[in-house]
Amino acid sequence: PAMAARLLLRAARPLLAGAGRGTGFGTAPSTALSTAPPPEKKRWLRAYLELQRLQAPPQRRSEKPNWDYHAEIQAFSHRLQENFSLDLLKTAFVNPCYIKSEEERRRQLGLDKDAVALQLQDNTGLAERGLRFARAYLAQCFEGAYPELPAKGIEALVNFLTSQELVSYVARNLSLQDLALCRDFPVPPDVLQRTFLAVIGALLESSGPERTGIFVRDFFIPQLIGKDLFEIWEVVNPMGLLLEELTKRNTSAPEPRITRQLGVSTVLPVYFVGLYCDKKILAEGPGETLLAAEEEAARVALRKLYGYTENRRPWDYSKPKQGLAAKKAVSSN
Amino acid sequence: RYVRQLQRLQLLFSPTASDARGARQFVEEVAQDFARQHPDVVLYVSPHSGPGPAPVLRAEYLNGTVREEVIASKTSEEIMQLAIKLANQSGLDIIRIRKPFHTDNPSVQGQWHPLTNKPSILTVQGPRLQPQ
Repeated sequence: PAMAARLLLRAARPLLAGAGRGTGFGTAPSTALSTAPPPEKKRWLRAYLELQRLQAPPQRRSEKPNWDYHAEIQAFSHRLQENFSLDLLKTAFVNPCYIKSEEERRRQLGLDKDAVALQLQDNTGLAERGLRFARAYLAQCFEGAYPELPAKGIEALVNFLTSQELVSYVARNLSLQDLALCRDFPVPPDVLQRTFLAVIGALLESSGPERTGIFVRDFFIPQLIGKDLFEIWEVVNPMGLLLEELTKRNTSAPEPRITRQLGVSTVLPVYFVGLYCDKKILAEGPGETLLAAEEEAARVALRKLYGYTENRRPWDYSKPKQGLAAKKAVSSN
Repeated sequence: RYVRQLQRLQLLFSPTASDARGARQFVEEVAQDFARQHPDVVLYVSPHSGPGPAPVLRAEYLNGTVREEVIASKTSEEIMQLAIKLANQSGLDIIRIRKPFHTDNPSVQGQWHPLTNKPSILTVQGPRLQPQ
């Protein structure tokens, strides 16, 4: 109806009422409605202009109207419920590629050498400190929560949590790509990772290791929900690893036996192979062939031994009582 | 921890139009209180002079969605309630939810498969193992 179309196009004024009737603009997605110039009066031009607007390259939020950097940074620190020192936070958002591109631009505009050199520090130092702290803290968390897990497993988990995709995904959903100062847009994932680690470094400098530890725990550990241990940690020979673990605990080697089997002579057989230690069941796993089933049973046994099953206790997010844990992380840096 | 999903609210209105009266009252009286109560939302107030499009409250969320609400001929209390509603929303699209329930753990004791309650090949049943 004409009323709805007029309201949708925000053309409630009688001047533009004639222009707002009967186009496809009302059904455009929500992103297209933002910053729309006043609708053209010539009906045959509107489709072309809309196409131009949709095909334009994405622009940084800082170049669109209504942007106040200082206010945005303050809101950012309130959103994360953390007290940042604003200078450290501003240095954390400055990337080296931004400094280089700014100096290039100033040199091309023909300024003196004094004016060319920017007095900005970039965030590499903060990023390194943040990365070291995050890795040490996460490793300590996992050692406390899964004491049976070997060092390689903990390293694999920490590497997964500080990997580029995960950190850039978390950073993107915390609006870091609007605040980070960088040469290209949309921001590449390694720059986002560096910026987020620099933010963690800035928090470390401003609030101390305890609060930073709580921050890292709140934003990184929920990314492990729903993930299986062996999706994150690539183990080539689970049977060999299982034998090592059992020799450490002085138990005999596991004996694989077929527990159940279905459809042996068909295209899709299912074998359940159980691993028995001294005639007591250790784990049971399914598979398509006997070898696959044995490997799966070894993986299930490893999960049970390391305490990383699906029915383990969920992570403890309560407030920590002592500051000893965080102090250990700082001293190990 | 809770992270408010609303990034910024932009209030675009005209200082002379008649249906932007509620928006002007909101800016004069209530906007500062709203900004103080929600320190993690950036509130931009941009009056555009002269006759233009209808007054609108644009909300941008952390996942990139931009939601615009027309505030023509609304009182300042209604605009305040609308702003609070937008501040408590997440940026997910408002579409029909197919089911009002969702669970990440559909089964507690393990999902049934045809071999769940079948005895295994290895159980040995002899005359001595039966209960007396």
